[in-house]
Amino acid sequence: MAIAKAERLMNLALCLLGTRRPLSKRELRESVEAYLEAGSDDSFNRMFERDKDDLRELGLVIETVESLDGEIGYLARRDSNRLPPITLDAEEAAALGLAAKVWQQARLAGAASGALQKLRAAGLPEDVDPYEPHSALEPRIPVHEAAFEPLMLACRDRRPVVFDYRKANAAQPEPRHVEPWALECWRGHWYLAGFDRDRGAERVFRLSRITGKVRSRGSRFTAPVPDVVTVRETVASWAGETADRSALIRLRTGAGYPLRAKATGVRELGDGWDELEIPYGHGLDAWLVEFGPDVVVLEPAELRADVVDRLRAVAKG
Amino acid sequence: MAGKPVRPVNAIDQTRRMLSLVTYLRERPGARVEDVARAFGITEDELVSDLDVLPMCGTSFRGGDLLDIDTDGERIWWHNPAALGADAAEPLRLAADEATALLVAARAVATLPGLRESDRQALLRATAKVETSAGEAAGASSRLSVTFESEGGVFADVDRAISERRRLWIRYYSPARDEVTEREIDPIRLVSVGHTYVEAWCRRSEARRTFRLDRVAEIRILDEPSAPPEVELRDLSEGLVQPAAEDPEVVVEVGPGGRWVAEYYPHDSADELPDGGLRITLRTPDPASLRRLALRLGRDGRIVSPSALADSARQAAREALAAYDGMEAAGTRGGAETVTGSGARPGAGAVDGQHDRQERAL
Repeated sequence: MAIAKAERLMNLALCLLGTRRPLSKRELRESVEAYLEAGSDDSFNRMFERDKDDLRELGLVIETVESLDGEIGYLARRDSNRLPPITLDAEEAAALGLAAKVWQQARLAGAASGALQKLRAAGLPEDVDPYEPHSALEPRIPVHEAAFEPLMLACRDRRPVVFDYRKANAAQPEPRHVEPWALECWRGHWYLAGFDRDRGAERVFRLSRITGKVRSRGSRFTAPVPDVVTVRETVASWAGETADRSALIRLRTGAGYPLRAKATGVRELGDGWDELEIPYGHGLDAWLVEFGPDVVVLEPAELRADVVDRLRAVAKG
Repeated sequence: MAGKPVRPVNAIDQTRRMLSLVTYLRERPGARVEDVARAFGITEDELVSDLDVLPMCGTSFRGGDLLDIDTDGERIWWHNPAALGADAAEPLRLAADEATALLVAARAVATLPGLRESDRQALLRATAKVETSAGEAAGASSRLSVTFESEGGVFADVDRAISERRRLWIRYYSPARDEVTEREIDPIRLVSVGHTYVEAWCRRSEARRTFRLDRVAEIRILDEPSAPPEVELRDLSEGLVQPAAEDPEVVVEVGPGGRWVAEYYPHDSADELPDGGLRITLRTPDPASLRRLALRLGRDGRIVSPSALADSARQAAREALAAYDGMEAAGTRGGAETVTGSGARPGAGAVDGQHDRQERAL
C-alpha cells in the first residue's frame, strides 16, 4: 500500500526541522521512506517539489542553501520557524476558540483550527472548552461561492485573475481582467474589490455573479493597491442605503412597518392613512411597489412616476 | 451541537495538526485521549488516526529514530521524547493562511454589536497578541473581511434570555404578510449568517421558528421560565430557509434584470431562457407571500403559476394605480423608452450591479 501523504509530509517536516545543516535532495530521498519507494527520479522530483510547497503552505519556512560545490541543500531553521512567545489567559483563549469555528469554508476552517492547535501546543489555556458556547451566539461565515477560494489565494499572492462575470441586469457574462485587492462579506454575500484592467478603474464584483472558473494570470499588478479598500460603502450604495434626498408618501395605518422604522417624520391623517417622510436612495421605487395599494407616493414627482411605471408593468402582466 | 467546524480528511491539515500534537504531547506524558482530542478540537477517532501515523515518522536520517508513541485508548505515552532533539518540537510559527483565518474571524466576531462586552475585550486583546506573534504572516489578513449585522439592544436581550432561560415577548414584522404580530417565544440559540437570527420555540404557532433580529420591532424579557421542547438542532450550513418537499410550487419567469431572484430565493431549479432570463421553480409554504416579489419585479418578471398568485399581484397593482388617478404628472413617464433609475447617487457610476436590491428574501 502506498504510504499516506500525511506520513510523508510529516517525515519531511521532521527531517527539515531536526537538521542543523542543509540536507541535500539526495540525503532527503534516502531519509524518507516514501521517497525511497518513489521509483523514478522524475516522480521523486515532482513529489518532493509538491511536498515542499505543501509544507510552506502550512507555514514552514524552508530555506534553500547552495553549498560551495554547487549542491542545493534544504533546512527549516528553528529561529525562523519558532512561534514568538505568546501568553493568552483563559478568557482570551475562549474568545479565540469561538472565533476559530465560524468559518464554513473547508480551507479556512482547517487553517483556523490549525492556528488554534499551534497556540494550544504553545500553552494556550484549555480549562474552558472552546467548543462549548461561551455566549449563546453561534456566528457563522457562509461561503457558498466557488470563486471564493481561488480569489482568496489571488488576493493573498497579489496575482491578477480573469473570470466571466454577469452583471446584475446582463443576459450574458463577459470576461473581466482584474487585479484582486480584497474580499468582503456583507449580509452573508461575498464581494471582490479590485482594479479592472479593461476599464482602467476600481470595480466591485459580487462573487455569486462570477460564472465559470477563476483563472490566474502570470503577470504582476500594474495599478497601486490602495491602503484602505472600501467594499462595504460601494455595496451599501447599490442597496440604496446612502440616501441623499427624502420622499413623502402616504401609508395605510398599520401597514409597512419597515418604512415606519426608517421614517424621519410621521403624521397621522386620521382617515386610515398616515403621511411619512422617508429617505430616498437608489431602489426606493422598487421597494415601495412591494407594498401595493398600501403606499401612495406624493413627492417627488420623479419617484411617483417611477412607481406608477412599475405598477403599470405589473397590472398589464 | 452543530457547531463543530467542517473538517474533511486532508493531508495538509493532518500534518499541521500532527506537528502541533508532537509539541503538545512532549510536555504532557500520559495525556488522556479525551482531553487531547478536546484541546485540539477533533474527535477521538481523528486523534487515534493521527496516533497511528506518528510511529511511522521521525528524523530517520539520524539513524532511524521513529517516534515511539502509543496509546491504550485512554492515555497516550511517548517513550522516546528525545528522538526529535531538544528543539525540533518547539511550537511553530503561524502560517499566513492560519493567521488570516483566525484574525479575520476574530475581527468579525468582535463586530457583533450584541457580543458581551467582557468577551469583546478578551477577543480584542487576543487579536492584538496573535497579530504580534504572527508578525508578517498577519499582513495578508487585511485582504479579507467580514461584517456581521445585528441589532444591538435586541441581541443583548435575546442573549440574556437564553442564558437565564427566560421567555421573551416580541413584536415581530413579517414581510410576507406586511404585518407586525405579537408573540411569546422560548429562545434556543442565536445564529449569525449574514444577518443575525434567533431560533426559538414559538408559543403562538407551537412550532420552531427563526426570527431575524432586525425585524423585531419590540422585545421584553418575561418572568416566566423558557421551556422549549427538546428539539434537534438543525445543521444550518445549507441555509436557514429549507423548504419542505410538500410545500406548494411557484414558477417565476424573469428577464435579465430579474436574475437576482435566483440569488436570493432558495429554489429547486433555474433554467436559462433564450432572452437571457431565467425560469425559476421554488417551493414555499405560503405562495401568497410572494405577491411582494411579483410587484417588485415589475417589467423584469412575472409569476407563471399558481395563477391565483399572478392574479392577486395584478389586482394589487391596479388598486394601487387607482390612487394616482387624476394626480398631477402621474402619467408623464412610463413609456418603454423612458430611463428608469435616477442616477443621482454620488459615486454610483463606478460600480457594477447598480440594480442590486436590499436583501429581503428571508
